[in-house]
Amino acid sequence: MNNLAQATWVEFRKACRSKMPLFTALGFAMVPLGGGFFMIVLKDPDMARRVGLISTKAQLTMGAADWPTYLRFLTMAIGAGGIILFGLVAAWVFGREYSDRTAKDLLALPTSRSAIVLSKCVVIAVWSAALTVVICLITLCVGAALGLPPAAPQVFWQSGITIMVAVCLTISLTTPIAFAASAWRGYLPPIAVMILAMVVAQLTTAAGWGEYFPWAIPALFVQGEKLGAISYAIVVLTGIIGLAGTILWWELADQTR
Amino acid sequence: MNTDIETDNLVKRYGNVTAVDGVSLRVAKGEIYAFLGLNGAGKTTTIRLLLGMAKPTSGEARVLGTRIRIGERKQWDSVGYLVETADAYPELTVRENLETMRRLRPGTAPQAVDRIIERLDLGAFADRRAGTLSHGNAQRLGLAKALFHNPELVILDEPASGLDPAGIVEIRNLLTELARDQGVTVFMSSHILGEVSRLAHRIGIIHHGRLLQELDMEELDHNRRRRLLLRTTNDTAARALLVGMGFSTDITSDGTIAVKDCMAIERPDDIATRLVNAGHAPTMLYVEEENLEHYFLRLVGVEEGNAN
Repeated sequence: MNNLAQATWVEFRKACRSKMPLFTALGFAMVPLGGGFFMIVLKDPDMARRVGLISTKAQLTMGAADWPTYLRFLTMAIGAGGIILFGLVAAWVFGREYSDRTAKDLLALPTSRSAIVLSKCVVIAVWSAALTVVICLITLCVGAALGLPPAAPQVFWQSGITIMVAVCLTISLTTPIAFAASAWRGYLPPIAVMILAMVVAQLTTAAGWGEYFPWAIPALFVQGEKLGAISYAIVVLTGIIGLAGTILWWELADQTR
Repeated sequence: MNTDIETDNLVKRYGNVTAVDGVSLRVAKGEIYAFLGLNGAGKTTTIRLLLGMAKPTSGEARVLGTRIRIGERKQWDSVGYLVETADAYPELTVRENLETMRRLRPGTAPQAVDRIIERLDLGAFADRRAGTLSHGNAQRLGLAKALFHNPELVILDEPASGLDPAGIVEIRNLLTELARDQGVTVFMSSHILGEVSRLAHRIGIIHHGRLLQELDMEELDHNRRRRLLLRTTNDTAARALLVGMGFSTDITSDGTIAVKDCMAIERPDDIATRLVNAGHAPTMLYVEEENLEHYFLRLVGVEEGNAN
């Protein structure tokens, strides 16, 4: 691919110099910190009520204050929240070129437009994976600080594998968001597409068809639903179609901004 | 003619709107070609077609001998451009913006960034974020991005936009030097017609998507209107004398006598002598040449003052 390495360097440079990595890390850090809060509550619900951490009417059905509960909370949050946060990253990486009106500077260069699209996708994937690593580390630190009872290594490995697969599935689903940002030229349309996808995911899951709707599949996966190969194939295919659509749009469509 | 830009009956339609309508133009190597037109005339669309950012509905464009088509990138190594507004990544510094563009143009030496910063007088702002630059300095950065890799051809959309008078002169000198000393071809659109007349070797005038006229500066000199304007101690008698001499005269809005006959324009000294001898000595006498702005407005059929 023509000059892909340099294009990737450029995209990383642009991302690192913005405040977006910090904002997304802070946003995602709420997941382990929120989970830690519930661990404190679950450790001693009466104390939590007395000091006002929770209302006296609070129903605590989450489980016990232990590593399996904490890690289950983390995987569920990544399955649902990852789609939103990784989608925001994709919307920004592509949409900013239109909001800042810099897309035109990338179109008549010796570096191919396909390389530029791919380099942006690499940045989205690495950025999303890095966010996941950060919140996993925060989770381990918070859990250790709270003195959760020791768990078998298998509990950690199992959660790690679940998170890794869920993140891979979710990253695949960012390419249609990238396409929406490119085709509608900005941040807001892809965010609207993402919200629409989340609403439809809820509806299809409620109707029992979630395993066939790409944006419902990561959440079902982390909930431990038995998914067939068709569900994974749907996600991978959606990712490939999104990527191909984005590349074709950059290569073929009239660029008027 | 050795051409760097060549279009053949280029047409671009957006739905029912024809933005570019059968434009055929040629830009010779080393030439400064000014592309003039009112807002919405089709200048920027033509530039986008030349840069492969939009596909023509029909016709074709060639840049540096290569036909512009999907996936063709060979020519972009040697082309620099600035389309519409000069935009940059606001969170990156001037130097970082140039460095990102350098990396997207493989083979360009790292020193090219420092050279263009110095040449465009951006040294004081090199480490300032682009988002904090004034409009004029942002325009300089846009020009720097178009020029840092020593292109054979630069395509510039309103290069002097936002620059102060000193900046305009500086850019004029820069483009003149590039064309004269390095043989760089410059294709530029501009609204600043006074600058164009000082800078361009050749002019193309586009209106409602159609190329109305291409002409070099000699042709412009030949085509633009001239008239002899005069005032005397007795304008009524002087006008009668001129009519008696066979000249057709007009009175301008401020009461000045205007004579358009070639004989009067070429020999104003004869007119002055006859007026003095008749006792109507001129108090003001000069040959007014239509400037590019008036010529352009006359050609596109827009009255002066209603151009926008």
